[in-house]
Amino acid sequence: MFDYVWLIPFLPLVGVLVNGLFGRRIEKANKSIIHWIGCGSVGLAFLVTFIIFIQMLRLEPDKRLYDYTWFTWMESGNFIVTVGYLIDPISMFMCMFVTGVGFLIHIYSIGYMWHDEGTYFRYFTYLNLFMFCMINLVLADNFLLMFLGWEGVGLCSYLLIAFWFGNKEFAIAGKKAFITNRIGDFFFAIGMLLLIVNLGKHGMWSIKYTDVFAHVSLLSPDLITLICILFFLGCTAKSAQIPLYVWLPDAMAGPTPVSALIHAATMVTAGVYFVARCNILYTMSPLAMQAVAIVGALTAFFAATIALTHNDIKKVLAYSTVSQLGYMFMGLGVGAFAAGLFHVLTHSFFKALLFMCAGCVIHGMSGEQDMRYMGGLRKKMPVTFYTMVIATLALIGFPGFSGFFSKDEILWMAFSSPNGNIMLWLIGVLTAAMTAFYMFRLIFMTFFNECRASEEVRKHIHEAPKSMTIPLIILAFLSVVGGYIGIPKALGGSNIVEHYLKPVIGLGDGKLFQDATGTAITHGAEAAGHHFSHMIEYTLMAITTIIVFAGIFLAYTMYMKKRTIPEKLAEKHSLFYRLLLNKWYIDELYEWNVIKPLHTFSVFMWKIADVIIIDGLVNKTAQFFMWCGSMLRHIQTGYVQRYAITLVAGTVVIVMYYIFSLYI
Amino acid sequence: MEQALILICGIIAIATAIMVILSRNTVHSAMWMVGNCFIIAVLFLLLRFQFIAILQIIVYAGAIMMFIIYAIMMLNLRLSDDSADIVKNLLNGRYLLLALLFIGIVILGVGFGPMALKGTMTDQAMIKFGEVELLANYIFSEGLLPFELVSVLLTAAIVGAIYLAKKN
Amino acid sequence: MAEYQNIYLILSAILFTIGCGGVITRKNAIVVFLSIEIMLGAVNLAFITFSRANNSPEGIFMVMCIMAVAAAEAAVGLAIFVLLYRQTGSINIDKFNLLKW
Repeated sequence: MFDYVWLIPFLPLVGVLVNGLFGRRIEKANKSIIHWIGCGSVGLAFLVTFIIFIQMLRLEPDKRLYDYTWFTWMESGNFIVTVGYLIDPISMFMCMFVTGVGFLIHIYSIGYMWHDEGTYFRYFTYLNLFMFCMINLVLADNFLLMFLGWEGVGLCSYLLIAFWFGNKEFAIAGKKAFITNRIGDFFFAIGMLLLIVNLGKHGMWSIKYTDVFAHVSLLSPDLITLICILFFLGCTAKSAQIPLYVWLPDAMAGPTPVSALIHAATMVTAGVYFVARCNILYTMSPLAMQAVAIVGALTAFFAATIALTHNDIKKVLAYSTVSQLGYMFMGLGVGAFAAGLFHVLTHSFFKALLFMCAGCVIHGMSGEQDMRYMGGLRKKMPVTFYTMVIATLALIGFPGFSGFFSKDEILWMAFSSPNGNIMLWLIGVLTAAMTAFYMFRLIFMTFFNECRASEEVRKHIHEAPKSMTIPLIILAFLSVVGGYIGIPKALGGSNIVEHYLKPVIGLGDGKLFQDATGTAITHGAEAAGHHFSHMIEYTLMAITTIIVFAGIFLAYTMYMKKRTIPEKLAEKHSLFYRLLLNKWYIDELYEWNVIKPLHTFSVFMWKIADVIIIDGLVNKTAQFFMWCGSMLRHIQTGYVQRYAITLVAGTVVIVMYYIFSLYI
Repeated sequence: MEQALILICGIIAIATAIMVILSRNTVHSAMWMVGNCFIIAVLFLLLRFQFIAILQIIVYAGAIMMFIIYAIMMLNLRLSDDSADIVKNLLNGRYLLLALLFIGIVILGVGFGPMALKGTMTDQAMIKFGEVELLANYIFSEGLLPFELVSVLLTAAIVGAIYLAKKN
Repeated sequence: MAEYQNIYLILSAILFTIGCGGVITRKNAIVVFLSIEIMLGAVNLAFITFSRANNSPEGIFMVMCIMAVAAAEAAVGLAIFVLLYRQTGSINIDKFNLLKW
């Protein structure tokens, strides 16, 4: 029925192959063919996804599971890995916006990258490869194929962040992203191997989700906790959580649409997706859940504080992404998997929109990214302005916009679910306030007041071309209405998202994943929230909203009314200000505690262990044999009769040997 | 009678062999070699192997020596200058080596003692069927593979010789 | 026959040693070659003797093989000598030391 699902990853792959292999020639012949191929392949993939999605929706909720096996990837004894795609509510949910938002970003890229000579095909090749990997990641029906996509997006992020590799800083940012991801992948791989080996001990040589989830109760709880923590460490790298979030702000080095792609639709959502996908594993380990929730909450708060002081428009957005991802993990950690995924969806809309708007601003400002030199762009870039305001309102959770519903759901769950507590909620609310503040600071600094740019730049300020603004408008629309599919029950909605995702959360009756042992795993968050009255929910909602308004108001006073306040504040608390401006010196901390010792150790290994000991050993061995050879070669006089005499001597020895062995 | 004949032939064989390596003139060496081949053939005859004796004369004295003499004449070699050295440096270490070799071979050879006489080529059989037939029976049954390999070797030698002698 | 076996074998040993001496002392390549032929002849004699002593055809067969090898050697060897003479104008084997270190 869904047998054409392989088309979804295959189409972008075709784009990669065509653009990658023949791109240079195509670009010379006709530049626009490149983006027709690049966008077309992703657009078609989106179309296929959409059709499958509709088809799936028409099925009964408990039949929405289809495992399509394309071919066998590798086989070793009983252990068989197939390339197969799993169609179930989570994967389709992810795939829908991955391809959808990805498609819009592709279209936006046409305008943004059009002026890049000679690299246009490379850009679209990487972008398509990114889509291919991400689709593999979300659609895979086993851990290993997912890991392929997981690694693939890491690679593509490296390629795209360091897209303008002529600039050394950008190249270093790319490396940073790649290496940080590698660290996470390392833990992830260990977790996966543990899972495979330990399931194999019970005779379960498969790493398909369906098989693993069905047999997960064979594993001991401690082991599951260990595996979950290892997986989560992988997710912290991919989804930019403490302690491995450091790469994401630097990832701004890439072209802005790439930032949009990495931050909104793909890559960073992979970690959230994975934890949600493995919710069955995680619910069996309360400790791992706690870890996820706490790390998420801390990250949300921490990143928001950094975003308060930054002046680079993209950096602020980057930290807001880290912060929002923290929210999602907090949601997952307290057991609100549906809410977490819902926030992924809305976030993908408004964050992609924010980045694309920032891209338009940067485009219009001739590459200027520092907000201190912007201002007054409201009149000159109206479309960008309005869409960006919509996105901002959605991000800060302004009532009525999409972010409000998803964020509120997470906060409510953090408060009410058995896994959550009031501290998590408090952190979440504080973060929401800070988010409101720094986002409106961004808006005010960029679009209001007088223009602080230099004369030359000011002349060139212009609204972005159609191919860039149309995706903005579409996304702005989605940012507004996207939330209405998940209106919580308390507000009279039916929370479609939660109902839709319910079959994949947990095991047992009425769920898509069946437990082989027959013992249904009780799911912590399932019944959550129902023992609190709606009154409390309304109160919390109101508190959040008031705090958000307070944040906006604060930003308004500081950046519209009395614009001297920020400077005074910075002077008054200069230590604190510098701490925030320098990102809590986390990079320096890593530099001194991890990178420097490692570097010193590496230099030691290179200079002493490698050059002197290993190379020395090899060279000395070679020199010894060379010396032996130079001694022995004097035997080779070239005189034939010398050789003949040696031969005779040898014969004599043999004859003597026979004589002795026969007669003595 | 027979023993006397063997001893005479042996002495002649040794004498001719010594003359081969002592002659200064290469052509003389070659001629002494022809004589040596003939004497060896006679010794084969004394061992009652007529066929192999004839073969010895044809192949060695006829074919190979022809080659050599032809080569000598083609290269226009006359006197070589080193044959006197042999007698001069008789106390050289290499002669000691040769003496050792000689003693060793003799001890080994004499040590075999009388043989078992178990083979098929008895005098009666040879008289009855002829030596060649017995030999042929052997060659085309047990000795077939070496025999064929020898043919390959000869072919290779011909090709090699032609290639080497060709003027570039 | 068998009673003369030792005479034949000693004769063969003497001839072999003489040939060997020729090989390791003479510088003239053709004479060296002739010495090798003497050695082959000595070996032939020993083989024939054993063949007689055992009444077996193996020795004779071996001799035939040796003759074939000798013929092949003569053809190739002499061709090489001719070639060497063309190149260097001499067949003194001490001059052909290209294979040294």
